[in-house]
Amino acid sequence: MKDKIQKLLIANRGASAVRIIHTCRDRKIDAISVFSSADRMAHHVFMSESAIHIGEPPPAESYLNMENIISAAKKANADAIHPGWGFLAENHEFAQLVVDSGFIWVGPSPKVIELMGNKADAKKIANEANVPTVPGIDNVNSTEEVRKWMEKTKVKLPILIKAAAGGGGKGMERVDKIEDLEQAFEKVKSEGAKSFGDDTVITEKYIKNGKHIEVQIVADQHCNIVHLFDRECTIQRRNQKIIEEAPSSALDDNLREKLFATAIRLMRKIGYSSAGTVEFLFDQDTKEFYFLEVNTRLQVEHGITELITGRDIVGVMLDVALGKRLPFKQPDIKLNRYAMEVRINAEDPKTFNPSFGTITRLKFPQGPNVRVISGVYEGADIPPYYDSLLSLLMTAGQDRIGAIKAMEHALGKSIRIEGIKTIAPLLLSIIQHKLFLSGRFTTDFIEDNLTDLISTIKVTSGEDEALKIARYLAERSSLGPTVKM
Amino acid sequence: MERNIIFKPGMTPRELVRSALSLPGIAVTSTGMRDAGQSDFKNRIRIIDLASLAPFYNEMGLFSAECHGGARWHVGIMNRREDPFEEISILRERMPGVLLQTLVRETNMWGYRPYPKNIIEYAVDKVDIDVWRCFSFLNDIRNMRTVMETVMNKGKLFEPSISFTQVNWATNEYYLGVVKDIVELCGGVEEIILCIKDMAGVGSPKRIGNLFDAIKQKYPDLVIQYHRHITDGLALPAILAAAQNGAKIIDAEEDSLTRFYGQAPILGVKAYLEEFGISTNLNGNAVKGAVQKVRDWIGHYDWAESPFKGSDYNVTTHRMPGGAFPSSFEQAENGGFLNLMPYILEMMSLYNKVIKYFDVTPGSQITWVTCSGIINRYSLEGGIGSVKHIIELFNKFVNENNQDLNSMNEEEQDELFALFKSAPEDFRQLILGSYGKLPMGWPKDWVYKSTFGSEWEDKIKERKDLSPIDSLDDEDIELLRANLEDAIGRKSTEEELILYLMHPKDTLGYITFREKYGKTPLVIPTNEWINGFQKTEDNVEFEFQGKPYRIELVSVGAEHSGVIHTVIKCNNKIRVYQVNTERAKKIEIRTAKGPNDVGAPINGNLWRIGNAKRGALKVGDIVHKGEEIANLEAMKMENVVVSPQDGCIKEICAKLNDSVQEGQLLFIVGDCDHKA
Repeated sequence: MKDKIQKLLIANRGASAVRIIHTCRDRKIDAISVFSSADRMAHHVFMSESAIHIGEPPPAESYLNMENIISAAKKANADAIHPGWGFLAENHEFAQLVVDSGFIWVGPSPKVIELMGNKADAKKIANEANVPTVPGIDNVNSTEEVRKWMEKTKVKLPILIKAAAGGGGKGMERVDKIEDLEQAFEKVKSEGAKSFGDDTVITEKYIKNGKHIEVQIVADQHCNIVHLFDRECTIQRRNQKIIEEAPSSALDDNLREKLFATAIRLMRKIGYSSAGTVEFLFDQDTKEFYFLEVNTRLQVEHGITELITGRDIVGVMLDVALGKRLPFKQPDIKLNRYAMEVRINAEDPKTFNPSFGTITRLKFPQGPNVRVISGVYEGADIPPYYDSLLSLLMTAGQDRIGAIKAMEHALGKSIRIEGIKTIAPLLLSIIQHKLFLSGRFTTDFIEDNLTDLISTIKVTSGEDEALKIARYLAERSSLGPTVKM
Repeated sequence: MERNIIFKPGMTPRELVRSALSLPGIAVTSTGMRDAGQSDFKNRIRIIDLASLAPFYNEMGLFSAECHGGARWHVGIMNRREDPFEEISILRERMPGVLLQTLVRETNMWGYRPYPKNIIEYAVDKVDIDVWRCFSFLNDIRNMRTVMETVMNKGKLFEPSISFTQVNWATNEYYLGVVKDIVELCGGVEEIILCIKDMAGVGSPKRIGNLFDAIKQKYPDLVIQYHRHITDGLALPAILAAAQNGAKIIDAEEDSLTRFYGQAPILGVKAYLEEFGISTNLNGNAVKGAVQKVRDWIGHYDWAESPFKGSDYNVTTHRMPGGAFPSSFEQAENGGFLNLMPYILEMMSLYNKVIKYFDVTPGSQITWVTCSGIINRYSLEGGIGSVKHIIELFNKFVNENNQDLNSMNEEEQDELFALFKSAPEDFRQLILGSYGKLPMGWPKDWVYKSTFGSEWEDKIKERKDLSPIDSLDDEDIELLRANLEDAIGRKSTEEELILYLMHPKDTLGYITFREKYGKTPLVIPTNEWINGFQKTEDNVEFEFQGKPYRIELVSVGAEHSGVIHTVIKCNNKIRVYQVNTERAKKIEIRTAKGPNDVGAPINGNLWRIGNAKRGALKVGDIVHKGEEIANLEAMKMENVVVSPQDGCIKEICAKLNDSVQEGQLLFIVGDCDHKA
């Protein structure tokens, strides 16, 4: 085994690649980026030591193209490959190919990825490890099966239709009316095939009044497993997380300890190493939690855990990938702050339609409790081929309210993105909502309160108002006088 | 000369009337902020310029400042992109000691149609004005009732106006009858002032002196104001005659604003009246300051002046009001018939003798559109010769034969019976009584025959004698609010709703402009407002939202494919603006608008036309409401496009794999043609 990674190839783009480059810089590791034709001028390309073109814009031809990525790693003479989050991060074939090609794979073993990648299998193992799971059926071939299952087990609507290989909120549909079942089933099947190359479908009961709570785990190859506390990712839109907090405000100490023990038990059973997350659905009414899935990768929201524990999770991943032992033990991990993260997505804050184009102005907040991971720079083009995440904005505080206050200022007064639309105004309107402040919200929060949230969106700032005046003058100066003289 | 300001906001109508009665000499209302601009500058003088006069007005010792109403409202939202509510609040702040005055057209308010009672009450209630001058172009005092009641209930000063003209039928007896109606309507003379509104500027000094004397004799405690335009060139002596015979308040404007059709020059009025021993109670220095201030910016409005220059004594026959002069000439110029203006004015002189009312909004517009329409029609059909012929014929009929049809031969009669055949709808409504009673009764029957053809007798039966106030049903304000909010896609403010009630279409244009350009109209100086910047480093500096701003031109690029890139520095930061020229606007993509149009819900790639089940769709295929007819991919997500109705695909407006924009027209779906 090598003692140090000299060159790390990052098989990803945008904020995900940028985050890993941050750690490379701290550790004086050469970061090698890859890019599609659409990303030739992307932020991650310029941040890294060198960058290699891997194909055309559609993901299947570039960021999902395993051969091209392996060739790039060979060409760059890399020691190791980090997949980031998304794309090939949870693809066990790719992990195996990396290992077989002689590179260090920064992540859990291909076997574990495969095991947890199939939602049906993961559920089975969880049950074996005495981890409670949401009632449902696997390998659904027709909507008829769904109807029969509902009848037999007396499960009522709504239900969830999921792509077995899905993740990150993609390939998941909630069915509220039985008439919509067919369309949802077909959509999930088609999206599963398209985005994950697997059209297997599973179906689950929908837990109302649920909170999404997850446990961050780090483990080495020597059976040491440590949790880095929990995160709450209840604020979601169409199963896409957009606001995360750490730790959750919904758990008391007993529940929290129980949750950690359950997560570690499961990870120990599957022989996990590297960083990973065990996701649970927490039923606020019954105080029960149900296993959802294991994310066998670095998660988008890992940064807030880093803020509250002071640990560099990407750094830990690099260490354990080399076979090193975890640099800390459970008692060393202490909470020192509360933190929250919002995802700055390039979408219309009212309609959620994706927004493409050039970022003409970009200014991020600063302050003692602010952290930014940005996948873009001022002047960058947002291509239409990839997901809409631009940047991650995190704040911390001595308590939850402190973190929220810092975020309120960051979103309301400091951040400035022009040229494309982002959901920043909606995020602000969420964190100012009384239900959010009280902590009494569920995964349906956005859907249930959308009208309310949209009505409180402040569309323009003082600067916007001044720029409207500048626009008038620009047009008048270009087009000539309004009147005949 | 320092003096205490006598008339202030917050005084009750009764206190204002008493103060006016006990005032030695007269007081002055300045029209510099409204009618001056309307009469000679097409209402284009911007509030940013007018507000520079406010500190002088605050010291001037005026009775009031007319700064609101009339057509300033409509032109404000249409051209200056200012709304009257903003104007009031700016002026209130800068001249808190001055009574603000509006001009309101009884049931027509600040719009051009009669409004029902509930809308009048709603609007009057929300406008912060101290003095409400209200006129009826028919002198149909019944029409003022709702405005009067709402204003007086608010504790504001109501100023009913008599539309004045000088003509044989408009006798003292006639006017005293109107005054009597007014006094009865308002329950006495203690809480109102009366205005004699000489809106065309036609009152001869003797006639005016005689009329004021007659009213004063009958109503010694009535405060009377004289509003007079200067069109005929005889304003100053007429004003003196009014003041000598009991007028208490006189309208005037800054000498530097005075052109040909507005009010008399204030310094001239002051000097002239004072020479005759009548004090104007004005602070001379403040007046001079305002007159001088105007010269700072009036040069920016040369373009807005009427192309018809000079006083016009002929106004005493054609009677076009000062406020309508510039806009009428502008229309004639834009319509390419400026050369016909003398004939149109002559036509108007004759028309006035046939259909008797007062030429002021909306009557003046009806006169203008009807008469210019007739002259244009004759000009198109037979040139100037034809125009001269009809004027000669009409003149003979009206002036020589006193509208006696028997004195005209058959051919001439036929021509007269066709004279109003193309008259505008407003004209038809007017003679059917929709605006109220005409002051001298309905026109003769031949006018109806000429307007309505064979239906004329039925139409006369339809004619109403009721005031529109009594005949119009209330409108559903909440429904109108919902329409407005639908159109702008958000909640509206009360102010926006009132604008919308008066001018629905132009208010939408105004709101769109302000959403795009914000407070530009209120902060940018007039030169830059009209011309933009001319050269690099040209700039404007202003304070906005409590911070200093400086906007500067760096460069204007050349035009490529209809687009100009313009570089601007805003508070030292470089900004590049893409400006679309007219050419670019022509090649814009089609957007979905109508109910049959299906637009793209998002920006994305049109990867499927049709759906998984039935495959591709083509023109003519039958589709069902809610059926997926296309699919867009964006950010790895599929987005279904569904048919909004049952029907057939009429047109497919995009190609497979096109990158389409949000709102771009994808399909037109319509009813199927059932051909056998």
